[in-house]
Amino acid sequence: MSRRAKRQSTELVPAHLYGLRRGTTSALTVLCLLFAIFVLAPLVWLLINATKNQAYVYGSFGFWFAGPFRLFQNIAELGQDISGAGIFVEWLGNTLIYAVLGAVGATILSALAGYGFARFRFRGANALFFLVMATLLVPITSLALPLFLVYAKVGLVNSIWGMILPSTVSVVGIYLMRTYIEASVPQDLIEAARMDGASELRIFLGIAMPLSVPGLVTVLLITVVAVWNNYFLPLIIFSKNSLYPLTVGLSSVSAAAESGTKADLVPVLITGGLVTVLPLIVLFLFLERYFRAGALQGSLTG
Amino acid sequence: MADQLVQAAPTGSSLRIRRPSSRPGRTARRGRVRQWPGAVFIAPHMLMLGLFMLVPTVYAIYTSLYTTKLIGGTSFSGGANYVAVLQSSQFWDGVGRVLLFGVIQVPLTIALAFFFAAIFDAGIVRFSRFFRTVFFIPFAVPGVVAAVMWSFLLLPGFGPYATFAQALGLGKLNFFSSQLILPTLILIVIWEFTGYNMTILYTSLKSIPREVTEAAIVEGASLWRIILRIKLPMVMPTVVMLVFLNTVGALQLFTEPSILAAFQPQAISFGFTPSLFVYNTAVGSGEYNLGAAAAVVLALIIGVISVAGFAVRRRNGEFK
Repeated sequence: MSRRAKRQSTELVPAHLYGLRRGTTSALTVLCLLFAIFVLAPLVWLLINATKNQAYVYGSFGFWFAGPFRLFQNIAELGQDISGAGIFVEWLGNTLIYAVLGAVGATILSALAGYGFARFRFRGANALFFLVMATLLVPITSLALPLFLVYAKVGLVNSIWGMILPSTVSVVGIYLMRTYIEASVPQDLIEAARMDGASELRIFLGIAMPLSVPGLVTVLLITVVAVWNNYFLPLIIFSKNSLYPLTVGLSSVSAAAESGTKADLVPVLITGGLVTVLPLIVLFLFLERYFRAGALQGSLTG
Repeated sequence: MADQLVQAAPTGSSLRIRRPSSRPGRTARRGRVRQWPGAVFIAPHMLMLGLFMLVPTVYAIYTSLYTTKLIGGTSFSGGANYVAVLQSSQFWDGVGRVLLFGVIQVPLTIALAFFFAAIFDAGIVRFSRFFRTVFFIPFAVPGVVAAVMWSFLLLPGFGPYATFAQALGLGKLNFFSSQLILPTLILIVIWEFTGYNMTILYTSLKSIPREVTEAAIVEGASLWRIILRIKLPMVMPTVVMLVFLNTVGALQLFTEPSILAAFQPQAISFGFTPSLFVYNTAVGSGEYNLGAAAAVVLALIIGVISVAGFAVRRRNGEFK
């Protein structure tokens, strides 16, 4: 089944069999090109305008360079605290910490739970799995505020753990790991290892996990993106700007830049946006196939 | 490798709960397999789920039943906060707005995504690999950055898109005016999520056996007929899942309007979306109890809509 599906997915039905007119193919390609321009335009704009000063961002054509080339000065300003909003480089560091620890935690928990659900039939397993899936229904906005109120009781407000620990819960991660382990870790292999007297932990670490590496990478990437892009939770739980991740930091710069009597904040905002998206785009381009597989069951957040 | 996940698409991509593939019969015959370690493996996750999702949910309901006054402290007030939320025209305006937003954005996004996924799957577009990669890129862009970029691009007067619209003879468009703010948000969200939806649909379409397409061609079906009458029904579970996920996302709309609010305060009101209402009530005005009640109502609205959606599908027999 697996081999067969693989063959089918790599071999296309030759396009000419559809009997399309030549014009149709060209028209469709043009449509794709237009949509590609629509998708890329904002990013091109971001790149170009990260080289401008504030006056030229507003005063010159958005899709071409103008004025002095200030990219490096703009990047240098990311290291300074402008107008008390906070320091971009600190936010970058925070985001890295939250994303790495949150994603590693989520991957470990998802691997354990996915294995538990995929390869054991214990009492209440179905009910618990249903409960896990049902949490997809709870909106993050309905969760973040109560979480903040609970944090206020237990002293987790303005603690990095208040951000990292909830990030380790990944419904999508569990779903992916369960599906992956069901497909790639044979039950017979596990039972053979049990016959040989291997402990359950040893089977998990020595057999199941090595066979699940691609699945683990997918979950890791998906959760890195999820934490990196998370806005609502850190917005609610952090009141110190030295703890902000990039998303919340940028939104505070954005608010300051627009209510704006302050110094030139717009270049910081735009260059900061560029520095925020570049790592993820690079990561994505290098590890695209993992994203593709994982996006399959990924979740959307607004 | 990754293909195995792809292969799981037709069944795995629907949200229904599948039984693990280990057949109980065989396990029972061998008899000696201990099943309790399964509970140990899922325990760490369930602990975190309990602490960071269930506890806050319960606490939200508890908090929403109390009222804190400047003088007199916190006291039990029963359903008073709920009455206040349910009677708030701002809250319901927001609910109506995200429903309208969702009714337009979700079908548009999924239709666009399916169109591109289908023509890439059929292999009738040149450079389709390049296009697939490009379309997916916005997935890596945080909503905050997307909203900032679009705020500048759509700036009335100076922004390149306003200039462009004027050159096309559309006059001086203000994308942030009260008539256009919703279409503007729809545009931004379509930009963010079409590629992501396209990728999921593409993966799902790829898992349809080649023989199905070949048989249809032999029968003389046209490409569009194959796509709409044969392939679309086969990936319907995936479409349903995407409608569900996109709708839940739409009803929670927060990031994009909250960023636009900094640029165009007059366009985004206090309760522009229910999530903004929750945030502004709790964090902005410091009325945590009222905010908690609004959060619970929002969760219930989303829950009811989702369950109703699934119930309709189930009744139509398209969901096993």
